[in-house]
Amino acid sequence: MQPLEPLTILIAEDSAADRLLLSSILRRQGHEVLTAANGVEAVEVFGQQHPHLVLMDAMMPVMDGFEAARQIKAMAGETLVPIIFLTSLSENEALARCLEVGGDDFLAKPYNQVILAAKIKAMDRLRRLQDTVLQQRDQIARHHDYLLNEQRVAKAVFDKVAHSGCLNGAPNIRYLQSPYALFNGDLLLAAFTPAGDMHVLLGDFTGHGLPAAVGAMPLAEVFYGMTAKGYGLAETLREMNAKLKRILPVDMFCCATLLCLSFQRRSVEVWNGGMPDGYLHRIASGERTPLPARHLPLGVLSPESFDERTDMYPMALGDRVFLLSDGVIDTCDANDQLFGVQRLQQVFATNRHPDALFEEIEQALRHFGGETRDDVSMVEVSLLESAQISPPALVYSDSGQSCPLDWSVSFEFRAATLKRFNPLPYLLQLLLEVHGLRAQSGALYSVLAELYSNALEHGVLGLDSGLKRDASGFARYYQERNTRLDELREGYVRLSLQVTPTDDGGCLTIHVEDSGKGFDVERVMARPLEDIRLSGRGVSLIRQLGRNARWTDDGRSARVEFIWEALA
Amino acid sequence: MSVITEVSEDGQRLTISIRGRFDFAKHQEFRKSYEDRELSAVVVDLKDATYLDSSALGMLLLLRDHAGGDDSDVRVVNSSTDVRKILAISNFDKLFDIS
Amino acid sequence: MDDTHVDRDVLSALQEVMEEGYPDLLDIFLADSEERLKVLRAADSAALLVATAHSFKGSSSNMGALRLTELCHQLEQQARSLPRPAVQELVGEIDREFAGIRPLYEAERQRCPAKI
Repeated sequence: MQPLEPLTILIAEDSAADRLLLSSILRRQGHEVLTAANGVEAVEVFGQQHPHLVLMDAMMPVMDGFEAARQIKAMAGETLVPIIFLTSLSENEALARCLEVGGDDFLAKPYNQVILAAKIKAMDRLRRLQDTVLQQRDQIARHHDYLLNEQRVAKAVFDKVAHSGCLNGAPNIRYLQSPYALFNGDLLLAAFTPAGDMHVLLGDFTGHGLPAAVGAMPLAEVFYGMTAKGYGLAETLREMNAKLKRILPVDMFCCATLLCLSFQRRSVEVWNGGMPDGYLHRIASGERTPLPARHLPLGVLSPESFDERTDMYPMALGDRVFLLSDGVIDTCDANDQLFGVQRLQQVFATNRHPDALFEEIEQALRHFGGETRDDVSMVEVSLLESAQISPPALVYSDSGQSCPLDWSVSFEFRAATLKRFNPLPYLLQLLLEVHGLRAQSGALYSVLAELYSNALEHGVLGLDSGLKRDASGFARYYQERNTRLDELREGYVRLSLQVTPTDDGGCLTIHVEDSGKGFDVERVMARPLEDIRLSGRGVSLIRQLGRNARWTDDGRSARVEFIWEALA
Repeated sequence: MSVITEVSEDGQRLTISIRGRFDFAKHQEFRKSYEDRELSAVVVDLKDATYLDSSALGMLLLLRDHAGGDDSDVRVVNSSTDVRKILAISNFDKLFDIS
Repeated sequence: MDDTHVDRDVLSALQEVMEEGYPDLLDIFLADSEERLKVLRAADSAALLVATAHSFKGSSSNMGALRLTELCHQLEQQARSLPRPAVQELVGEIDREFAGIRPLYEAERQRCPAKI
């Protein structure tokens, strides 16, 4: 018999001879022995000495073994103290009672040392197993507390990174997200571009917990950094994909839908990689256009294979884009039935007041009876008047004392460059070195962007802005744009910037020229200034935001000024 | 066994069949089924797969990476309608031959 | 006394286990048994008879007293159903059996070195 760790064993037996015999047997086996002659003594000794195991005679005076066993088991609580009843196997009733009170085994008289040793060993193994289970349970509970704390810290850090966005400030965004949605991989970001457009990202990382949260931070930094500098959706997508591909393990990725909502151009640009359908709700017709996933999630494809092509849709005032994470669709009821896209569309169909959509979806989810999930995220972005949207002012870190006041620079961007490079963020950064221009950065960016896109799209690519008259023409226009840009072999956009001091302050002159065919300047100028945005060359925008806007050389050359007063 | 592997006669093609839910619980088994082999062509048979989640997508990406990344030849066959839908939303048909 | 009454192997096993405690064990067994017999003879309730017979049965079996164990078992089982004279007869048998084997245990006691 293999040696067993010595135990402290309590013998409760009223027959003195039997008690003596059993004690000797146990001591010979290396154990420490406590004795009791009746039930009351047994309970008392147990309470004082806490033996590992009890050998209990069933029939004892004062208090019998059954009652003593019951009390001892109660005192032991969640610790397992095995009780072996000393009884004759012929008494079936007694056997049943032994089990009822929690007895773990029996030993018959006459005592057989071999059997006794074997039973003690078996019981001790159980006892130690229970002990291990309790220890591990406690360890798990402690670990869980640590994890919760780590999550809390991670969340606090993340909230600081994320707060630079406009999710809570902008009047045109509504969203619903559980506070710990991040730890289910759901990410919601929103920020203004310098031109006053709004970028929105709804993302869903694979996995849960800290890995998902950790991936979110570099993504958020790229999103906010590039949006603030004036980069478009495509470039931002490229960067985010490259970053995630680089830092995340192969099996981790981020499904995401990105939007660029332009209040000025009354359009929304959409990129959906792996997320459920978003919906563009047109208020006038009540129609809801699905925005399906046409791309792989972020972080899967290498930079060479990544597809940043977006889809463009026109929007009217009051129209909304609605995005949701798959937590909504995948909510299950008790029978493992999914809530599903059809039920969602039923809610859409019965919805009368657009503002009530969120509540109605939440109600439908509750009615469905599913388990409320922690990763239900919804966001709704509306197109409001640009005047209603006020992006926060940019904050600069330098004093402007050493800013350049008298300089000029020109660029010529040729075909190969036009295809892959967006010069606007760079140009804007350059111009913002001029302290006096900072107050007009929004207007400056809008005008630069408009001039550049006119020169590129209508000039070099020869696209007809008349195509953008309606929704399908709109989509065709942007598809055509991508095709022509891909095929571009020749052409150029020349851009020159001139900053000169004046008596009062300074003047910036922007000059943009393209290699295209030009347009009928007089006809476009004749249009009233408040023309609708859907088509047209944004000429009125340039005229409104800049000064002395002029088109020459049959429209191939555009010129506009920005003036500022010197600050005290 | 819920992940079953079979090598073709000429030893060139590995077929991995998934039974039941294709989710994170199968992670180890799935990886073991291919990691010690040099692969030229792999077929993932989802005939008996009832469900697929994002960790399954991740596992497919790991397999593809092991089998040569952009040069790999990984086919996903016998997908049910539900499984097809999930693969479609994530646009995985751009990376895998799905039928 | 032949082995149907006392199992000698049990006694040697006991001696081995008890070592120098063997004499004590014998003494206690004999003393306890006397006590139990007194109770059995005077018992007026079936419950008391059953309990005492049960107890006596237990220690007899531990001490290798086979026939005694069997008789106590019978009393334990039948004390409630047998008429009083039959019970008394059974108690008498137990008494006689014990008287018969008692010298054997005493001899064992003598065999062992005297305890200080």
